[in-house]
Amino acid sequence: MTHHSALVFGFNEYAKQIVLQIAGEYTSFAVFVMNDAEKSAAQSAGFEAEIFDLSEDWKSIEERFNIKELIVFCALDNDAENVFLTISLRSMFEDIPIIALAGDHESAEKMKSAGANKVMPILQITAGIIGEMLEKPTVTEVLHDIFYEDSTLKIAQITVSKDSFVVGKHLYDIDWGNEYDVLLLAIVDFQLGATFSFTSRGHNHHIDPDDILVVIGYEDKIAAFSKLMEVSI
Amino acid sequence: MIGRWIVGFAFFIHASPSYRRIKRFFHNLLENPSYPYKKFFDYTMIMLIVISVYILIRHVKHEVSPEWLYFNNYIISFIFLIEYLLRLWLYSDGSKIVIEQYEHDLFLQRPFRWINAFKLALASKRAYVFSLSAMIDLLAIMPFFHELRMLRVFILFRVFKLFRYTKSLTQFISILSSKKFEIFTLGIFAMMIIVVSSVLIYVMEANNPESRINTLFDAIYWSVVTIFTVGYGDFIPVTDEGRMVAMVIIVAGIAVISFATSIVVSAFTEKLDEIKEEKLIEDVSKINQFYLICGYTPLTQQVAHRFNKNGKNVVILERDKQKVVEAQKEGFVALANDSGSLNSYQTLQMDFEKQVIAVILLQESDVLNVYTALTIRELSKKVSILSILHQKENRRKLSLAGINEIVYTQELIGLISKEISGRPVAFEVIHALRSENSGVFIEEIGLDASMADHFLEASKLPLFHKRLIVLGIYKTAESSFCFNPSSTLEIKEGDVAIIIGTRTLIDELKALMYKKGKK
Repeated sequence: MTHHSALVFGFNEYAKQIVLQIAGEYTSFAVFVMNDAEKSAAQSAGFEAEIFDLSEDWKSIEERFNIKELIVFCALDNDAENVFLTISLRSMFEDIPIIALAGDHESAEKMKSAGANKVMPILQITAGIIGEMLEKPTVTEVLHDIFYEDSTLKIAQITVSKDSFVVGKHLYDIDWGNEYDVLLLAIVDFQLGATFSFTSRGHNHHIDPDDILVVIGYEDKIAAFSKLMEVSI
Repeated sequence: MIGRWIVGFAFFIHASPSYRRIKRFFHNLLENPSYPYKKFFDYTMIMLIVISVYILIRHVKHEVSPEWLYFNNYIISFIFLIEYLLRLWLYSDGSKIVIEQYEHDLFLQRPFRWINAFKLALASKRAYVFSLSAMIDLLAIMPFFHELRMLRVFILFRVFKLFRYTKSLTQFISILSSKKFEIFTLGIFAMMIIVVSSVLIYVMEANNPESRINTLFDAIYWSVVTIFTVGYGDFIPVTDEGRMVAMVIIVAGIAVISFATSIVVSAFTEKLDEIKEEKLIEDVSKINQFYLICGYTPLTQQVAHRFNKNGKNVVILERDKQKVVEAQKEGFVALANDSGSLNSYQTLQMDFEKQVIAVILLQESDVLNVYTALTIRELSKKVSILSILHQKENRRKLSLAGINEIVYTQELIGLISKEISGRPVAFEVIHALRSENSGVFIEEIGLDASMADHFLEASKLPLFHKRLIVLGIYKTAESSFCFNPSSTLEIKEGDVAIIIGTRTLIDELKALMYKKGKK
């Protein structure tokens, strides 16, 4: 599902960076803050912000945005307030994707229980990055380029169409690297569950329509491969 | 003339690199606890002492072979004599004293008074000679004059020399010496009671024919045995007056013992933290390689846990003692030192070049992190420093302070948010790889010459093919990444391979390349 609108709750330094990063990705987005200080901080950064409180019923969101195309980022300063916001939004909108920030692992678990689809535990993410930068500097550099820099090397998730030539084949029937110059990292096999499996695990999955393939490759090769995936050979 | 000769000789010695080197070597060997060879010297000396005392005991009732006696009387004593002279030599720098005196006289425009310089040099050596440890050393050499049979007892002084070579004994003495005043007071108190009670018991008992206490010595002996609550029973008071004295002295004895016990216990309690810290510093100096984290915050906990999980050592420096206690409770090696102070690193005797893999600055402000980075840069230009950035506008300041890697969490979260909303599955996959909890790992292998030759060939073997993903080769010389390398790619020594697979397969590939390299 493609999301065209985004809501960001809070305007601390984390929320500001989220807004800066996603601003260009969505056709419309709004910033909701809890006090005047955050509102003026958002305005001085060039973003319009609206004040809300945690007791709102969020009907205004329903009126302003197409809920099916909406994604929400909960980035309030206080973990308890963030959990309450998440649970309030989930109680109103069952299917809306919610991405929430959590101070630590303990809060992250509460966010998940409150209904967040993805939780970013700040401490664990930062510790992971610090460890990786020192122990695997080359891996960090390469992954950083793939994800965040203007590199032609990209990571993509491709959904297998009904007519695709890969349907009915096993993962190891295809030499992805040699034939298409892309590397298959993982597959979401919906017949086995909604979570992904690494190809390196050694399970020879049967590829079905709607499975998701996570591949790494050069932009043009991924584009060519995506196109090829739509047709049967 | 003599003065000129002495000054010339002093300057020659002072400037001589070989003389300095030799003196430094012996100083390290005898005095520097962090010198790696000192322990071998200490063990040798302890062994000689043990041999010496064993021979003394054996010689009481048995014959000891002349070779062993010769060894004990001459060789061991000679070694101790050499040690004594070396310590005397190391205690002060005679040439420096002479030069200082010469320069002093020169400044005051008067002739060099070499006799004064000589006296000063001698005085400095005399201070050593009359120190307790030096006197024990000297007495331990006495059995050298073995013809004087009585002097053999001086072998026992060699046991006291053990204090020099065993740290725990030295610590024990230093703890007790911190309570000198209390011990002195206790000594006076005990002596007063002994004197008074001895005189009293002598007066009460000496003229009684039934009493065995007949001399003043008997009375003193009885007092000492009673006051220290031993009570052999070989001398007992028989008169009522004598028994009254005994009752008083028994109560006083309990007071003396309690007082003595409390002194020792309180001395140990007061010094306990210090001893623990010294032990910790010693332990840290023994760790071969570790990550040094400055500042104990919740993030420090996470980072340290991650490194510990991967089998890496971590040492935490934090000036807040309360936080240090928390860190130690979590099982980390944490020291209560200010990471921004040069003095801390000197106290810890930290070798940045050899011991520290990288420094991680996680203190709660950019100001402290910059200050610490500058302190560390004074000590080492090479060590890698990573710092957390709190305020975006301070990034350049951190770079200028010599920090190699800067982590700005807020920006990182922004970038991740973008990815997580755009490509959630792809992001999850990479996140799982990075978190190392999924059983599949992304690893980098630095390739040496032989590994570079065999890497691609090995990775294409049926065991690895399709199950181990070779993401690419990082060409170090060109600073470029070659994705999905073909078998024709030229890999050079120093290039880095990035692979994705299970731990078993990655280890198997490494082992295979190692074997091929050996062949």
